[in-house]
Amino acid sequence: MLKLIQNEWMKLWSRKSSWIMLILLVLILFGTAAITKWVNTAMPVENPETWQQVETNEMLYNQSMLENPELDQVQRDYFEGEIAISEHRLENDLPPYEYTSMQQGVIESHFMISIVTLFTVIVAGGIVAAEFSQGTIKMLLTRPVKRWKILTSKYLAAMIYAVLLTIVLFISTAMAGLIFFGIGEGTFLTWNGSEVAEGSFWLEGLKMLALSFAGVWIIGTFAFMLGTVFRSSSLAIGLSIFLMFTGIQLVFLLADYEIVKYYLFTHTDLTQYYTGFLPVEGITMTMSVIVLMVYFVIFMAVSYLTFGKRDVTA
Amino acid sequence: MSEQALVQIRNLSKTIGNKRIIKNLNLDLYKGQITGFLGPNGAGKTTTIRMMVGLMKPTEGDVIIDGQSVTNHFEDSIEKVGVIVENPELYKYMSGYKNLLHFSRMHKGIPKKRIDEVVQQVGMKNRINEKVGSYSLGMRQRLGLAQALLHNPKFLILDEPTNGLDPAGIREFRLYLQKIARENGVAVFVSSHLLSEIELLCDRIAIIQNGELIDIKNVKELQLSRFLFKVEPLAEAEEILAGIGFPVSRHDDGLIVETEAEHVPGAVKILVNANISIFAVQPFKATLEDQFLEMTGGGDIAQAHTK
Repeated sequence: MLKLIQNEWMKLWSRKSSWIMLILLVLILFGTAAITKWVNTAMPVENPETWQQVETNEMLYNQSMLENPELDQVQRDYFEGEIAISEHRLENDLPPYEYTSMQQGVIESHFMISIVTLFTVIVAGGIVAAEFSQGTIKMLLTRPVKRWKILTSKYLAAMIYAVLLTIVLFISTAMAGLIFFGIGEGTFLTWNGSEVAEGSFWLEGLKMLALSFAGVWIIGTFAFMLGTVFRSSSLAIGLSIFLMFTGIQLVFLLADYEIVKYYLFTHTDLTQYYTGFLPVEGITMTMSVIVLMVYFVIFMAVSYLTFGKRDVTA
Repeated sequence: MSEQALVQIRNLSKTIGNKRIIKNLNLDLYKGQITGFLGPNGAGKTTTIRMMVGLMKPTEGDVIIDGQSVTNHFEDSIEKVGVIVENPELYKYMSGYKNLLHFSRMHKGIPKKRIDEVVQQVGMKNRINEKVGSYSLGMRQRLGLAQALLHNPKFLILDEPTNGLDPAGIREFRLYLQKIARENGVAVFVSSHLLSEIELLCDRIAIIQNGELIDIKNVKELQLSRFLFKVEPLAEAEEILAGIGFPVSRHDDGLIVETEAEHVPGAVKILVNANISIFAVQPFKATLEDQFLEMTGGGDIAQAHTK
């Protein structure tokens, strides 16, 4: 199996597009940081608020949110934590990281995850389909290797590429932050449900990135299935990207119906449990994980069945 | 042939929709023997070959390679097979060497040395590190052959292998196949449209039409000793030759006489004595094409099986 993955990995990097996407990702991250830097220097905010003022305003807002009686337990916990952290900051004179600092960039690195999703979809959707369109599938399947093994190696190669892009995203964000903003002053605080403690911004950044990787993984798997079933990379990539954008909109349209709880895109963003913004009431992290797993099993089953049974006539 | 067949095709059938594309095919292939697979377009050659290598699943029947069933023991049986299905489609964005490395990893225990060896054999040494996209069709064919030979297969299946080769390339290819069949005892199965090529290459020919195997012949049998007599007047000469017991038939503006060479001078003498004008007497070899057309009834293209 290792040799098969090695093969897929070699083919992946022999194509220019894989390199272009990697380089593009780095360029976009550095570009975004550079533009932010430029905007801040060219147009400095007049009479900027002190961090205490900002923190107080946020605390007041969070308190007003808590007054909503229909609030979900997940959100209630979140707002309470935020308020506790704000109070702790004001009492102990512990400012948060500046908005333009390397540390804040790392904490927010998952904001850019949709680029990784996009590139993963392109690779995952094409990795099987391309073998059909190039005709190389005939050479690949007339080897003493069962089809399910070949499909598994392809899936794993695509997912390893996704992980690699995510790591590059993290490292590039930190590097761009270091170059353009420098190391900022401040502390990162966490709330564990009963008390406020100092936390590592690295770990926070990694945690949020890992949570948002669930979306990359499931949408990548979806594109992989489409590429396997339809043998057309453009269809797989196009449809996945289309759903990636419209799918989330549909969550809001369906929000009042029970079915939304079983709808894939309600659950693709796991960071929603840590940002205080839940699009749908009554969902929990456990439920999201289960729903994602069920979709994963279905996508994989469809891929394996069609790939394993198909008569190759291409 | 008394020895056990290396490859046994047993009751192979394929139905797509409600159309039976391959009907109960039975065929044995032996070590060291090159078998040609002939048939008009749409007769089912490619479908048969695809079932033999596991690209398509037979509706009924099975293919046994060296005692292992392709359906039930895919990995064990296919390990012994080298395949070129139609044009060798290789990864154009990788070098020839990387392509071979890629395929070698899919077999058990092929050392890097073996790759170099095969590259040498097919004469690709100078350009193996260039991208396949820059190769000519002939070079891709060579690389296609190289990938099929990597794991020293006992059985080689080739679908239209000489497509795109120049005459010198075809000749070289033919000699090479004959050599590995003879020296390494490899069983070779070649489908082709190039009838003259099959005739030169193969020891045995299987002919398929409308999904049925209609004939298996040894090439030597096909080359009976026959002579073409160009004489005048034709009818009179035919009467005389038939009268003394030669099997005679008409062919264009001459007569074809089936006989051994030693009887030819005698026949000529008799014709001369009977005042028949003789313009030419020459050995006559019915080409495989003639026989093929005869057997398949004019080579009608069988109804296309796809809708």
